[in-house]
Amino acid sequence: MPSLLFEIGCEELPAPACTEAATQLRSELAKLGRGSVLVGPRRLVLLVDDLPEREPDEWVKGPPENLREKAAEGFAKKQGVGVGDLEVRDGFLGVLVPGRPLLEALPERLNEIVRGLAFSKSMRWDDSGLRFARPVRWLCAKLDDRTVEGFGGSSYGHRFTHGEVPVPSAREYLDALRAADVEPDPDARLNTIAEGLRKLGLAEPNPKVLAEVVHLAEWPTVLEGTFAERFLSLPRRVVETAMESHQRYFPLESNRFAFVANGGDPATVIAGNEGVLEGRLEDASFTFERDVAKGIERLGEESARITFVAGAGSYGDKVARLEALVDALGGGDASREAARLAKADQAAELVREFPDLEGHIGAEYARLAGFPEAVCAAIDEQYLPDSAGGPLPETETGRVLAAADKVDSLAVAFGLGQRPTGSRDPYGLRRAAIGLCRLALEGNLELDVAALSARAHQLLVDQGAELKDDASEVAEFVEERLEGMLEAPVEFVRAARASGVTELGGIARLAEALAASADTEEFEQAYVAYDRANRLAGKSDGAAAELDPKLATDEAELALITAVAGASPKIAAALEAREFDDALAAAAELRAPVDRFFDEVLVMADDAQVRANRLRLLLDVRDAVGALGDLAQIPR
Amino acid sequence: MSPPNYQEMIASLERYWADYGCVLMQPYHTELAAGTMNPATFLRSLGPDEWKTAYVEPVIRPTDGRYGENPFRFQHYFQYQVLLKPAPEDVLDLYFASLEALGIDTKRHDVRLVEDDWEQPTLGAWGLGWEVWCDGMEVTQFTYFQQVGGLEIELVPAEITYGLERLAMFLQGKRSALELEWAPGVRWGDVYRESEREWSVYNFEVAPVDILTSRFEEHETECRMLLDRELPLPAYDQVLKCSHTFNLLDARGAISVTERAAYIGRVRTLARKVAQLYVEKIAQPAL
Repeated sequence: MPSLLFEIGCEELPAPACTEAATQLRSELAKLGRGSVLVGPRRLVLLVDDLPEREPDEWVKGPPENLREKAAEGFAKKQGVGVGDLEVRDGFLGVLVPGRPLLEALPERLNEIVRGLAFSKSMRWDDSGLRFARPVRWLCAKLDDRTVEGFGGSSYGHRFTHGEVPVPSAREYLDALRAADVEPDPDARLNTIAEGLRKLGLAEPNPKVLAEVVHLAEWPTVLEGTFAERFLSLPRRVVETAMESHQRYFPLESNRFAFVANGGDPATVIAGNEGVLEGRLEDASFTFERDVAKGIERLGEESARITFVAGAGSYGDKVARLEALVDALGGGDASREAARLAKADQAAELVREFPDLEGHIGAEYARLAGFPEAVCAAIDEQYLPDSAGGPLPETETGRVLAAADKVDSLAVAFGLGQRPTGSRDPYGLRRAAIGLCRLALEGNLELDVAALSARAHQLLVDQGAELKDDASEVAEFVEERLEGMLEAPVEFVRAARASGVTELGGIARLAEALAASADTEEFEQAYVAYDRANRLAGKSDGAAAELDPKLATDEAELALITAVAGASPKIAAALEAREFDDALAAAAELRAPVDRFFDEVLVMADDAQVRANRLRLLLDVRDAVGALGDLAQIPR
Repeated sequence: MSPPNYQEMIASLERYWADYGCVLMQPYHTELAAGTMNPATFLRSLGPDEWKTAYVEPVIRPTDGRYGENPFRFQHYFQYQVLLKPAPEDVLDLYFASLEALGIDTKRHDVRLVEDDWEQPTLGAWGLGWEVWCDGMEVTQFTYFQQVGGLEIELVPAEITYGLERLAMFLQGKRSALELEWAPGVRWGDVYRESEREWSVYNFEVAPVDILTSRFEEHETECRMLLDRELPLPAYDQVLKCSHTFNLLDARGAISVTERAAYIGRVRTLARKVAQLYVEKIAQPAL
């Protein structure tokens, strides 16, 4: 069977566009046969090994057979066949249209592929109407050694060392390109780069930089450079950020660095890159020294005047809220000091230059000013975790400050009516919420999000912020994140969220405890007590505001009142002590008196007062057991 | 072959693009923060007419000044701007040939196109393209305009903006722009260092905030008046003056983050109106 090469030749595509194209081309490949998809900056390539010679025949279904007299002629005419050519399948007339020979069908198919590729950022460059990530400059298509009509039979090699490259046949494409200093296969380029870096002693290169440089060179070589040792006195992170953020270099030990080139004379290219890096380091060190000359206290004063978010005051206001929030979180003096200095580096020139340095460089300036390490580390760690699986702050002060910062950001965004909707989450609030959950679960921080966000909201109001909403939905938003993070099924998490436990870690452990005991006798008893009470009284609005024991007449009714009065504080105390099994056991005790009450007492009594009182009693049962959570969420 | 000095480099670019058929223009007469803002690029990008131009543009960016003490940052430096409308199919090859014309052997160096999506919110303009790197040094920005003045581009131009100081640093192998040879025996710093110092003092310390604030209002008012009189070209000058006044106020630290967005919005509104009027009045083919 014949092989196909299809190459879309482009001006240099950005790395994300290469990735987007690869995904779409793989699904096109799946429709054609076996083969491979190769992407890189100047070409998107589809190689198919075993294309059938003809497209498959297609059955075109026509009118039902019983309408032959009325409709057959029209259908046949439309299909360009005689009535006699129509066949019958499953009671319908139809015609089997033979598949076209591949060479005939391919031009249309391939053009559709080009037109069908979609990119998150696309452009026009001429009047063809085609939109693509960057201009398409040639299309080369070979079926074995035949050039597909309407397409070119040549590719182009390395931009500066080779020109047009005739492609003799689809199978010889890769060899032809490799002879012209182009490696079309991104995996091969990645291997070359990884191997080159490994030889220079770098086993684990920054994956973000690596993913980008794979698509920045068609003929990659890894080169090594050095910079003047005097720049080693700069904080390491500043040096590394200067290398990675703009230049896409790989920091090596000491004053060495690696980078990926796409050609050129190595000595010349290395000397040039060394000069550029030294220039950037010169610039960074100039800026660093200006910041240090100001010192962290003065940076703090300057940052206090910078607007944090329009409508929610300045960084000065933010810091005042952080100080109150770390207090509420039980942080000590070091946490408060860290909160005071947390946003000072927002006024640092180096942060304006390299936004990724926020927090880290503030910590550095605090160290230079002689603050205790607990304070500096907390400033350093305040934005952690900064990704779903990223590390948590290592220090207690860091965890406290990181939680305060996230709670405040959530309260601000919700207050301004900017909660995330659908896929829109410009402030990274979902990440902040997941971060809070992890700080509670893995960092063992006690986080009552409802109370903390209410406090942040009150502080904002006191500071004169112009808010649209309160922060009452923040806790729900954060607790929702637990649903995807715990082993317990979602229903148990939802149940636990409605319990009397308001602190994140407690909710999580309660959900796990409920899930673990779901098959026990205790759970069953508590569930039935809750469910029976809830079903009858839960939706009624006729209940009395408060129970009046004097209105109770039946023995079963009095017994239930006594049982609730006994169980309720027991359940609450056990929950408070996080002894969830004890709480469940106490709740289970209510099953028998509830069953007896339903057997012997008519809730819907004629006397309105008595009826209202009995409904209230059932609500009290529901609430006592419901301190363990909204058990109605759990399907039985 | 010894590398060209600064003025020879400019002369080579002028020669190269003139030979290609560009109209060589001269710098515009009011402060611009980028060669893109010159009406020869901004306004001529609009409408259906073909246009090829090239020119040196001094760019004024008050916040980038460093008192002449930093080797890379200046509040006043130069771009060489080329606009080819429509973008010819071989536009990248044309550009690389211009590097060869300057004496850059693209086989000996590592020349790369690195994604750079360009956006200028004050002018309601964006495009896609690249930074061009020579051995890691960003020497040019290359952009296919998609929208200008909030209007979709009819005939997509390619904009090539050479950063002349960086290009010269690359050519001359210098680590400081101040050390570049401008003409035989004269360095860049000899020509501009004192100017950088004085203008940095002006931009950061002395520029009168109250006068500038009311000047912004005056330019805005004048722009609206000129729009009413259907004079897009003079109106555009007032947009440029608003933009520069805003940049000065920004350098003086007189603009809070919130006000900033409002100021940018005001300039953008004017730029859009000018662009619309220009397209209506001038860019339509004569009847």
